[in-house]
Amino acid sequence: MASLELIEVRKAYGAATVLDGVSLSMETREFLAFLGPSGSGKSTLLRVIAGLETADGGEVRLGGRRIDQLPPGDRGVAMVFQHYALYPHMSVRDNMAFGLRNAGVAKGEIGRRVLEAARVLEIEPELDRKPAQLSGGQRQRVAIGRAIVKQPQLFLLDEPLSNLDAALRMRTRVQLAELRNRVDAAFIMVTHDQAEAMTLADRVAVIHDRRIQQVGPPMEIYARPANVWVARFVGSPAMNVAPVELLDGESGRASVRLGDGSQVDTRVPRAGLAGAGPLQIGLRAESVRVTGAGAGTTDARVELVERLGDRTLVYARLSDGQALTGEDRGASRVQAGDIVGLHMEGAAAHLFAPDGSGRHPVESTA
Amino acid sequence: MKGLADRHRLTPLALAGLSLAALVMVAPLLWTVALSLKSNAELMRDSGTAFSAPYTLENYRAILQGSQVFSWLLNSLIVSLGTTLGVLALCSLAGYGFARLEFPGRRALFVLVLLGLAVPEQAVILPRHQLFADLGLHNSYPGLILPGLAAPFGVFFMAQYFRGIPRELDEAALLDGASRWTLFWKVLLPLTWPAQATLGVFTFLASWNDYWWPLISATRSDRFTLTVGLASSQMNYAQTSGLGYLMAQAVFAALPILIVYALFQKQIVGAMAGAAAR
Repeated sequence: MASLELIEVRKAYGAATVLDGVSLSMETREFLAFLGPSGSGKSTLLRVIAGLETADGGEVRLGGRRIDQLPPGDRGVAMVFQHYALYPHMSVRDNMAFGLRNAGVAKGEIGRRVLEAARVLEIEPELDRKPAQLSGGQRQRVAIGRAIVKQPQLFLLDEPLSNLDAALRMRTRVQLAELRNRVDAAFIMVTHDQAEAMTLADRVAVIHDRRIQQVGPPMEIYARPANVWVARFVGSPAMNVAPVELLDGESGRASVRLGDGSQVDTRVPRAGLAGAGPLQIGLRAESVRVTGAGAGTTDARVELVERLGDRTLVYARLSDGQALTGEDRGASRVQAGDIVGLHMEGAAAHLFAPDGSGRHPVESTA
Repeated sequence: MKGLADRHRLTPLALAGLSLAALVMVAPLLWTVALSLKSNAELMRDSGTAFSAPYTLENYRAILQGSQVFSWLLNSLIVSLGTTLGVLALCSLAGYGFARLEFPGRRALFVLVLLGLAVPEQAVILPRHQLFADLGLHNSYPGLILPGLAAPFGVFFMAQYFRGIPRELDEAALLDGASRWTLFWKVLLPLTWPAQATLGVFTFLASWNDYWWPLISATRSDRFTLTVGLASSQMNYAQTSGLGYLMAQAVFAALPILIVYALFQKQIVGAMAGAAAR
């Protein structure tokens, strides 16, 4: 059964449209990430689901029940805020019990649920302390605890890890993964951090320009981006995208020529590409390998070298001025200013039609 | 580099300067207390005798023997506390409304409230007197309390304070199923305690010290506040023939204020420094 359903949700602030007909369906117990840059509308969408913003149109359903007309407290959702939003004057215990008291839950039951959540989150010794006396990580866990005790159908997490330092973020990420295994609910997490989205979520909804650009499992989004924007947004460094010309040929696979004249034989089906207009090729850095000058698909001048330990990113420019990012494995000796060869793995190349939509290799190796 | 403790240590020059300033501030108070402890007759000869014995409590005895002084004290307490509680309740609600609720004309109404700051009491005292006379409110507690409840600064102050509380707390409470009232009463209002204390202390002090309106409104001596009552009990030529008594009155009237000041020193200093101590 679908847990959450968004049907043509629209939201505008004055003349500025923020969400333009967003539709989405989620399974029970699914973990979905809203991934997008700042201002993409992902937080607004989360707030519409929570009831903190009113949609101008469309429907929000949870467990088959229409909830977009209900007040936030009656929707069966719980939210973990980016800055925790703990009540500063209440103890940890009261913070967690507040929602249950408002809902009229019996005192004994409140105590039981708070204790259980505190034990799971390892904040039992902190129950009688105030939020100001807690560390950032403890506050984060109290915020999660406050959501858990309500036993919601859907958890909404608004950038839950963004306020934590790197080490704590990793630990909390693991805790969130454990939590989702333990509770019988669906999760939506808003993030602009791909690593979070990719590691935690069953599916990722990439949001940009008021719309969901693509929804799918993390690896599918990485391997088969729906369009140029998704291709460049997901993955680090961003996918190389360059204008190409489709070459004539009898084979069913498209062969293309870059601006500097070099040819790449892709595994993207040729059908439908001829006569479509100007195409772009998409190649991830790991599919552009640095070799000796003259030994690759083409030669390029190195502009910048980033040594990351296990691999080295090489930012180079082709003779026609096209910038490409390639990868050199092992202990690279490449220097800025060198002329190197770039071997482009045609088998991993994507092509993008003039409307931006992606065509992918039939036996994807990316 | 100088440590924090070093930077807070006073140089001898600064210490001398501050001591001098403190002396200038406290001298009139000590002078008042000294004069209040001398007999009127002695002071009439030479007020310089205040620096030497004998001291006496006869002026205070005279005040306490005045038949109505305790009822004036009670009146002042009722009026000041009533005004303070009323101002806190109204300003908190209005401040919350202006800071958090969306309603048509909110901005215009807020400006209108602030315009109230620009209207001096002198400009409205006659119509107010007439209005209270028509309503039969003179010589009553409501008559003494009600004018003090119109507190534009308090509304502004509380609205600003509410605005400073992160909206995420409201949202968290709404998701926790809190009603608007629960949100106000249990989540936001407790967080405004420093502002309440500051506003409360200032309102109490202003109300306690108010002389003009009680002088106009309370014409019956059993409705006098302490300020009006004590002034009414001064005989003619009090400045020369009853100096000790006059000073004892001043000390007596100031005592509750000193107590309030001692209790809420932190809030008062915080407010003076331009920021309520959070």
